Amino acid sequence: MRYLTLAALAGLLVIVAVAKPSLLAGDLDPKLREAEAKRIAVIEKVRPAVVAIFAPGGQGGGSGVLINDDGYALTNFHVVEGPGSVMQCGLSDGVLYDAVLVGLDKVGDVALIKLLPKKDGSKFPFAAMGDSDKVRAGDWSLAMGNPFLLATDFTPTVTYGLISGVHRYQYPAGTLLEYTDCIQVDTSINPGNSGGPLFNMDGELIGINGRISLEKRGRVNVGVGYSISINQIKNFLGQLKAGIETDHASLGALFQTEAEEDALPKMVVTNIIDSDARRRGLDIGDQLVSFAGRPMSNVNQFKNVLGLYPKGWRVPLVYRRENDKVTEKREILVRLMGVQRQELPGADGQPPQPGPPQPRPPQQQPKKPTKPSPALKFFEAKPGYANYYFNKMERNRLLAAFKKQAGDFSAFNGDWSFKAGGTVKGKRAATVITVRDKGAKDEKSPVIQSIIDGLPYELEPLDVSQSSNALKDPPGSGGLLLAMYNYRQFLAFGEKGGFTEFNHGGTEPFYLAPPDKGTPDFSKLRVDAEVIRTEATGVPCKWYFSTKDQTLLGLELTPDRDEDPCEVYFSDYRKVDGRLLPFKIEVRYADKQYAMLEVNEWKTGTAK
Amino acid sequence: MKRIHLTGVLLVALACAAPSRADESFAAVSELVNGKLVKLFGSGGIRGLASYGTGVVVSPDGYILTIQSHILETPDLRVHLADGTRYHARVVAMEPELDVALLKIGNDKEKVEDLSYFDVVEAAKRPLPETGSGVLAFSNLYQIATRDDPLSVQRGVIASYSKLYGKMGIFDAAYTGNVFVVDAITNNPGAAGGVVTSRKGELLGLIGKELRNELTQTWVNYAIPINAKVDVPLGNGQTVTVSIVDLVQKKELYQPPKSNRDKGKGGGFSGIVLVANPVEHTPPYIEEILPNSPAAKAGLKPDDLIVYVDGLPVGSIQTFKEVMDRYRPGMEIKLEIRRGDKLTTMPITLGEPPRKKQ
Repeated sequence: MRYLTLAALAGLLVIVAVAKPSLLAGDLDPKLREAEAKRIAVIEKVRPAVVAIFAPGGQGGGSGVLINDDGYALTNFHVVEGPGSVMQCGLSDGVLYDAVLVGLDKVGDVALIKLLPKKDGSKFPFAAMGDSDKVRAGDWSLAMGNPFLLATDFTPTVTYGLISGVHRYQYPAGTLLEYTDCIQVDTSINPGNSGGPLFNMDGELIGINGRISLEKRGRVNVGVGYSISINQIKNFLGQLKAGIETDHASLGALFQTEAEEDALPKMVVTNIIDSDARRRGLDIGDQLVSFAGRPMSNVNQFKNVLGLYPKGWRVPLVYRRENDKVTEKREILVRLMGVQRQELPGADGQPPQPGPPQPRPPQQQPKKPTKPSPALKFFEAKPGYANYYFNKMERNRLLAAFKKQAGDFSAFNGDWSFKAGGTVKGKRAATVITVRDKGAKDEKSPVIQSIIDGLPYELEPLDVSQSSNALKDPPGSGGLLLAMYNYRQFLAFGEKGGFTEFNHGGTEPFYLAPPDKGTPDFSKLRVDAEVIRTEATGVPCKWYFSTKDQTLLGLELTPDRDEDPCEVYFSDYRKVDGRLLPFKIEVRYADKQYAMLEVNEWKTGTAK
Repeated sequence: MKRIHLTGVLLVALACAAPSRADESFAAVSELVNGKLVKLFGSGGIRGLASYGTGVVVSPDGYILTIQSHILETPDLRVHLADGTRYHARVVAMEPELDVALLKIGNDKEKVEDLSYFDVVEAAKRPLPETGSGVLAFSNLYQIATRDDPLSVQRGVIASYSKLYGKMGIFDAAYTGNVFVVDAITNNPGAAGGVVTSRKGELLGLIGKELRNELTQTWVNYAIPINAKVDVPLGNGQTVTVSIVDLVQKKELYQPPKSNRDKGKGGGFSGIVLVANPVEHTPPYIEEILPNSPAAKAGLKPDDLIVYVDGLPVGSIQTFKEVMDRYRPGMEIKLEIRRGDKLTTMPITLGEPPRKKQ
């Protein structure tokens, strides 16, 4: 018995000796080898897309990541703030490229730049974007970039660590550099990593690294870093590509988390200003249930979701109202306002962002430019735009694609008109609208003439003496006459149609008109659209084109900025003389349908 | 005894022999652990002291384990559970020798039940994790999580299982036992009271305070093991053993023993008399050893030069005095001395300061 026991113990010892993992390479568990090989392969795959960004002269810098083969790359606003409009970028092929600023999101700390290829037409390596909503705390991640400007050959530093938290909120400095809905990581990021990519273990881009928590150890990583989620950046990408200096969103309402002891917290409206949210029905005392599809349980979560969207986007919101015995729950579609911009960063509050690295980096010496950067060719300054050159480029591209899809209307510089049946204000009625180029009293200015349900309405769009209410005629439509005038001007003349503004407005969701009955399902009505913004006769208009095929989906005309716009929805396109025109025109104003016009006939005339 | 030891090693070895896929996500473990942790809010917010911290649920009816700190010094102590429910909390017991405290939420009017919790008694029975084993750390560092946001998870390994450097005195911590030193940067505001777990989410220890080694200027990332025990001298020659398990089991009935250790500064008596200190930075040469003193028992002699105290260089009489000032009676320290041209290590157990003869 004793010998058996000893033998068993000896056996145990043997097992221990064999099973205990040795640190010698030969004994490494195959699963560990496999994981290591996979990690190395992922790093190899994405490394070529990582960018080292330098200010002209080599002073300071950060990181970035290429997102398409044309050379567009993402980084932080605070990385490009120093360099300004042009900079130089090193890729891990050892080559230094010239780059130009394209778009800016100062509030969200994002910038889009474009690298210039050495040879016209050559393509860049790039990283595929992932879905940051799929990222969970406890997942592994890779961060790549140029911390402390260590890389003298532009090959990025790689760090590996955990996702520590998702949907995190970090306060802005003033109103800029607010990190909403960001990813928190313990993957080491340090000054110089700013603007660089965060990858999941499949090598997909899930974030842009930009901030770390600092306290008692100076300006180095203390286990807490923050990445702007790629899903947030995707929402802004259309505007960034269009060279816009974007603005973030506000709702026009203040919330407070209310929680009695022992109860789940809830968000209640404590204040609301005159805004789209108020016009849609939200009021003080209402409880915020969900915002943009996400359930709301604390104020930071609300700020997180708000930070995902550019100003001007429409997002669904669900609120609950309890009075006496009735509990009402409603879903509304809210147009987001802008953020009031105040001073620049450096204001009190947050610790400084990782910017110039510490310790003082060895000076990278790209050749000091003896002539101006070739990237300046691609830069045009204009207020409100990071780089107007790209706005013109995007605008012209969209217009050309629209022309190809719908046809060229430039020959039709005469009177336009259509006749329609359908309904107006709920009852069957006939409608005729005519835009006459020189039909005004002075025989030089345009006029829109109409007979709607037997009543005549007329508007001279260039008449400055008329009341602002006239611009919204016919009453209840929000401005249908003026909308049709703008329609003719846009199609026949484009930017030469008397517009004081004619720019690309980025991308945003467009919502088709809701059905007559039942509660609308906004997720089903949503269509991704590209926007052109125009302004004529002092009235702004937004034009929505489907990103898929550039169909003109509709427009929003805003005669009064403090009131709802006139919403016009175009559908049932048919060819007329080889060009597409809508045969269904729905007009809505303040959540009500004004008219559902079923067009019988279009006439687009040529001037004699 | 031997067999149990071997079995323990075998179990650990087997566990190491079949590692989970190295890039496997800890999302599920994180969610599970997070459900057993709370956010703590109390006193502080001035002079760099955080007013927030973390705590661990140790019973389904709302007993919470955390680190004893300034945060608890308020009648307005609040706890947020993982789902965001807010409770007022009260301190029910403390053990200063372990740096831990037990809180309770809920009362007769608002019953708390069915909470997710860590079974501390079971956790304490598990064998100690090996140095080098992977761990996860969970806490509300920097107060990043609010209300029902999940706490922050970090990864690391156990770098060592050892006494807090220099024992008590170098650090302002009461706990004198062994700690896990980890390479996850847990030493951050708000992290105290969080947990270090195995990568499977098993409770290993409680994240400690923001301690700093004054001499090396480094911040120590450490956790108090869940099976921590300390022998507390009672003064009559008896000692009583206190443990976290004991505190969690006895709850309101727990009484911390009255230690006769001088909780104030120093007091540890060695019997070493140094040379006079005529110039700044006079090295600490021994002039005289008092008879029957701890130094005499240790074998120290006049003309010895004290070079290190517990591994800390003491280049001057001033530094030697400052370092020795932090040790209390009963503590065993190691002096490294130079005698002639040889360096020797001399352990010495400090005694009570001699009383004046009546």
